[in-house]
Amino acid sequence: MKYILAFIFLIPTCLRAQSYKVETIPMPEGLKAENGALAFFPDGRLVAAFTRGEVMTWQPRTGKWKLFAEGLHDPLGMLVISNSEILVMQRPELTRIRDTNGDGNADLYENVTDAFGLTGNYHEFNYGPVKDRNGNLYIALNASSPNGRMRPEVRGKVNLAGRDSADGRKQMFSAVPYRGWIMQLTPQGKLLPWASGFRSPNGIGFDLNGNLFATDNQGDWVGTSPLYHVQKGRFYGHPASLVWTKGWNKGSPFQLPVNVLDSMRTKPVVFFPHGIIANSPTEPVADNTRGKFGPFAGQMLIGEMNRERIVRVMLEKVGGEWQGACVPFLDGHGLRKGNNRLVFGPDGSLYTGQSSHGWLGDDGIQRIVFTGKAQLDILRMHLTQKGFDFVFTQPVTASALKPANYHIRRYRYAYHKKYGSPQLDVQAVNIASIRATPDGKKVSLVLDELEPGFVYEVKMDNIMSRQGLPLVNGLVCYTLNKLLPAPGTAVVKPPVFPAADIAAGRKLLTASDCAACHKPDTKLVGPSFKDIARKYAATEASVTRLADKIIKGGTGVWGNVPMAPHSAMSQADAKKITRYILSL
Amino acid sequence: MQYWKGLLCLLALLPLRLFAQDITIPMGVMPGLQFDLVRFRVPPGARVKIVFTNTDDMNHNLLIVKPGTREQVVSEALQLGEKGPEMNYTPASANVLWSLPVIAPQQSKTLEFTAPETPNIYPFVCTYPGHGTLMYGAMYVTADTALPALATDVNIPPQRRQDDISLEEKDVDHNNMHHGHSTALHPYKPVPPYLYRVFIEDASPAAIAVCLPMQLAYCWDASLCKLRFAWHGGFLDNSDLWKGKGDALAKVVGVKFFRDSAGYPLGAPGAKVSYKGYRLIDRFPEFHYTVNGLHVYERIQPKADGSGLIRSFRIPGAAQPLVFHAGDELQGTTFESTAGTWKGNDLRLTAAQAKAFSIIMTIKAH
Repeated sequence: MKYILAFIFLIPTCLRAQSYKVETIPMPEGLKAENGALAFFPDGRLVAAFTRGEVMTWQPRTGKWKLFAEGLHDPLGMLVISNSEILVMQRPELTRIRDTNGDGNADLYENVTDAFGLTGNYHEFNYGPVKDRNGNLYIALNASSPNGRMRPEVRGKVNLAGRDSADGRKQMFSAVPYRGWIMQLTPQGKLLPWASGFRSPNGIGFDLNGNLFATDNQGDWVGTSPLYHVQKGRFYGHPASLVWTKGWNKGSPFQLPVNVLDSMRTKPVVFFPHGIIANSPTEPVADNTRGKFGPFAGQMLIGEMNRERIVRVMLEKVGGEWQGACVPFLDGHGLRKGNNRLVFGPDGSLYTGQSSHGWLGDDGIQRIVFTGKAQLDILRMHLTQKGFDFVFTQPVTASALKPANYHIRRYRYAYHKKYGSPQLDVQAVNIASIRATPDGKKVSLVLDELEPGFVYEVKMDNIMSRQGLPLVNGLVCYTLNKLLPAPGTAVVKPPVFPAADIAAGRKLLTASDCAACHKPDTKLVGPSFKDIARKYAATEASVTRLADKIIKGGTGVWGNVPMAPHSAMSQADAKKITRYILSL
Repeated sequence: MQYWKGLLCLLALLPLRLFAQDITIPMGVMPGLQFDLVRFRVPPGARVKIVFTNTDDMNHNLLIVKPGTREQVVSEALQLGEKGPEMNYTPASANVLWSLPVIAPQQSKTLEFTAPETPNIYPFVCTYPGHGTLMYGAMYVTADTALPALATDVNIPPQRRQDDISLEEKDVDHNNMHHGHSTALHPYKPVPPYLYRVFIEDASPAAIAVCLPMQLAYCWDASLCKLRFAWHGGFLDNSDLWKGKGDALAKVVGVKFFRDSAGYPLGAPGAKVSYKGYRLIDRFPEFHYTVNGLHVYERIQPKADGSGLIRSFRIPGAAQPLVFHAGDELQGTTFESTAGTWKGNDLRLTAAQAKAFSIIMTIKAH
């Protein structure tokens, strides 16, 4: 009897067809297939570039490879213009490569832009280009490695303030223009600095709404690998590149206090927890297949070099900025390591170009095909007032209502010059309640606490669909930069405190030392008063809590920098100050 | 007899007990996920001290595991999932004998233990996610002083078992053969002329190395827009460059016969040059650049007998007389031209002559 039962339970596992299958594209003999760039010609041919300089085309119908161009220096990005023309990002320049006589081999290699510096350091990789809706191109320039050097002859103006720091600690550097920047190339051919603060941004891409995103790699100043929403004029955290900011007059950016750098930077929209989700995330690509590739249309997929994985991100706008979650999309299934470049084919399957160049992993190209078979997965994750909503691809059973099936932790990563960051302030988070919609598609978790500045890691076990499918990817990490605005308080705040208290609080504040660290509108050492007001509801409960914080001091809520205690201040005064702040 | 037995016993114990001195193993990290010491030997029962200094720019740990269990432990470490970071990616496994936690770059930690009495090969490995398949080595616990040949030692990563296979493109016939066995560099057979954009000595980082027929080659610099040097006898060894680990240069194979010593061959020194690209004509690149706004096209081919180079210039917009500076130091090369008049090492061209002319550089016979 026991045997029969075991047998019955085993059947679904054995017979379950998978939603995705991975196929390996045979590579031509003699090719060191370290893939740096992958795209499709309009006629359906795959076009791929490799580190020894070859650009090759592959005809899916015949499986035939053909050489298109050669001799390039570490090509790491490509944009197809037509069936006979591509743009390729190589070490020295962005190059337009054309077959002008129609013989199938490129014969014209034109310099599109080389208006950036090169020291010959091995780590000066260049990525892109990607194109926006107005025809501007974007390229990303890696910072230089302290494990390498500058060649005796370099290209571009040298500024050693972007390299040398007083403590001699090794850091990625930017000693020639625009290393560590993402650049915009206008249709007129002018290369403009666009955003700074990147370390090793091996992957830029647009979502379907024209937002530019870039990944970076864990290291100095990068606690764990992030995804950034790249916007003009912003700084993303690695100091070296700041020396090339227009009008920069602050000397070595490495000498700036960490809290100043911290206040200047734009934080990641998603952290990829190191060793958990991804160690070397690569190219983000938006699923533009309208369902041909499964249920995740519109979301972004990101390659991972270090393990057999493609990562998926689910973003939403909170308080005017993107933030969201990352989750493994595909693990194993025959997928290899080294997933460096992603591109959707005309057939709606995802091609992944792999490279082990100077690193680990595999080489070659694989194709991921959606089989049409349903699987239980997290379709979307949304922040709510007190927790998170999960929308599943399939209706779930009551298994999703058991708190024991969730393991939730929160932690954060330090912003500092040290290489990487451990998980800090790791804390288990308790579930207050779980509800599901009657259709079983959406599950709402209310948590005991939600603290901005933390990654919320949710691990789900034993959750099943009503058809008996197990959840395939149950580890999801949400980067909680901002809380949702409290309902009803988002637009106009009703004056909940007595006007006399607010006025008195304002006076007390002016007379205090608060202004040393806080400003009304902008972040200084501590958060701006307006940000505090946005985060906490204007209630007496908040007033008591924050007044206590003013008197006792604290750390961790808004970052690493501790707030000094004000033990001489009376409870009544601290409350008045808080009422004023929360009235802003 | 008893006496001898006792002495024998004592002698047998001596190596183990009296001479079991402390052995200190300094361990570092090389670029490309490798321990710098890929294997070492300790006598059974020795007190071992491994001083592990993370000389890399990434985090690493170090585990010594039971013989034959390296891959299993690596897999167990990966299965720690979200618990990995807090456990230093070290699985709670009986297969793990000793371990050092994750060590940040430039930090150092020491692991002390007493080597097993049982001679065997104990793998050491970094189980940081993704590292374990590459970053490992072998601790030989043995009383023997000799270890098996490095080249056939399956206990160390394959790339450490021998010197790197050179990728040198020595033969200009480009059979892509080396050391008698075939090591194809490309999925096709490069036939001169062909080129690589490379990092190479004596040029800017935006260099173009061109392999010509007749065992000739040259380096043209896309930053300075000029021929930097030329050589004969071979082409390039790209093996270091293509490994992608740390700074590396393509190496010239052959003998340099020319190095440009002119500040700038066309026009005045300090002329503003701008690189535009190249077109392949019969596979020979014709470089296109501007000098103070004037478009210049330059193509370099071998002389018919292989005794030097022919540099063909086109300057269709030339409206002024032009001077071509061959340089101060012509070394082993003589210069001739198809047009203009030489004054010392300067070639003077009228505007009409400058529209199309060639410089013929011949290697002087020794």
